[in-house]
Amino acid sequence: MERVVITGIGAVSALGLGAETNFLQALAGHSGISVLAPTLAANLACGVAATIGFELPDLLKKTEVPLFDRFSVLGWIAAHEALSQSGGANDALLSNQSGVFWGTGIGGALTVEAGYIDLFRDHKKRLRPLSIVAGMNNAAAGQIALRAGFRGTVNTYSAACVSSAQAIGEAFRHIRHGYAARIIAGGSEALFSRGILSAWDALRVLASTDVAYPERSCKPFSQNRSGLVLGEAGAAVVLESLSCARARGATILAELVGYGSSNDATHMTKPDPGGQARAMQAALSEAKLQPSDIDYINAHGAGTLAGDLAETQSIRQVFGAHADALMVSSTKAVHGHTLGAAGALELVLSLSALRSGSIPPTAFLDHSDPECDLDMVPRLARSGIALRAVMSNSFAFGGSNVALIARPFTE
Amino acid sequence: MTSFPTVAKLLAERLEVDVDTIRPDTELESLGADSLTVVELMFDLEDEFEVSLGDERPSLVVVQDIADNIDRLVNAKSGS
Repeated sequence: MERVVITGIGAVSALGLGAETNFLQALAGHSGISVLAPTLAANLACGVAATIGFELPDLLKKTEVPLFDRFSVLGWIAAHEALSQSGGANDALLSNQSGVFWGTGIGGALTVEAGYIDLFRDHKKRLRPLSIVAGMNNAAAGQIALRAGFRGTVNTYSAACVSSAQAIGEAFRHIRHGYAARIIAGGSEALFSRGILSAWDALRVLASTDVAYPERSCKPFSQNRSGLVLGEAGAAVVLESLSCARARGATILAELVGYGSSNDATHMTKPDPGGQARAMQAALSEAKLQPSDIDYINAHGAGTLAGDLAETQSIRQVFGAHADALMVSSTKAVHGHTLGAAGALELVLSLSALRSGSIPPTAFLDHSDPECDLDMVPRLARSGIALRAVMSNSFAFGGSNVALIARPFTE
Repeated sequence: MTSFPTVAKLLAERLEVDVDTIRPDTELESLGADSLTVVELMFDLEDEFEVSLGDERPSLVVVQDIADNIDRLVNAKSGS
């Protein structure tokens, strides 16, 4: 089977533009969370979110804009960065062996909602002609394939908060088994509309606003955590077979060595430590690693009462005595829960940790929950650590769990 | 009346080209206007001139083809 290496990474989130910027912001514990605009938050309990407040790079022609829902824009920005870093010629043969595996929770929901506003609020008689092409869930994957000229398999994965982790994992397998030489994998999510926020608000899983410090409202593993903070993002990795990367002369950033997936099959929203443990164990098994080989876990750590506790328990279940030697952090404290983009964004941050030897903290964690009793890297980053392998966890409504493992590339 | 100046102006704005480069016999494809761009343009022209193509699927190759269709609908509406 082929070894799978990573030759490009890209990210855009409330933390900023670019994988490097996102990592530096996460390391510094600078939060991208802020108070929501009154137009979005009126009458809702939810008052904060990790929205992208800066101007996005202009990668589209004016005629292309109607074709792009915001989730496709964020996706292409991240994919474009990863592709630029990965570099290399795209000859016809390689192009046919190159694919796009993309994750999104709700796809072009902003376009769909804009159509409803046109029809039902503004009583317009017709919708924009490109509403379907922009709003469909595979729009981002299709746009990335079109622009990259990747003509192999192009798949879209929609499994709530594991969407992009699953896309990356399935891309990993696709390359490992020889179905593709190179794949842009990742995910994107854009969800800030009245309708979508109202639906999340009604579920009563969103964090209360920290009145004194709104940017600290997401508090994973904290005794006073109150829920998740929604975020928008796009994140991507270029995965390729080792032979392809060598043939292209690409710079190898790291090796993806394990992917595990499972489903709780116990409840639609309540997390199950057993299900999470099965995903982590499957990833370790595929990577042919022992639990003691993992040094850092970028936790799912969404900041919900049940979720953070279940993850602590599942990590203890899988890692046994080594759990106390692990460093575990949730970067959602600063970039929020970016849902379908979360797995990709957090893998990008984990890869940056692996390469730099610096661990992003669980920001603002000054009142740890005694029941979340692992080393959650509270408040401050750690540096100068030679990491042997890192794991990124993603868990979702619908019961899906995914764990990904990367390690430094060695011959 | 002729809708050509409006068609040329909207096309120029969308394609980010100088309006003076757009002539009646300019092929849409040569301007970089693919089928999806033309569908969007026709939608806005229907609004602009308050006409409707309904379920017609006219063949639109050059810029004047668009103007001809809009003119025909406008004339039909005004009864001239």
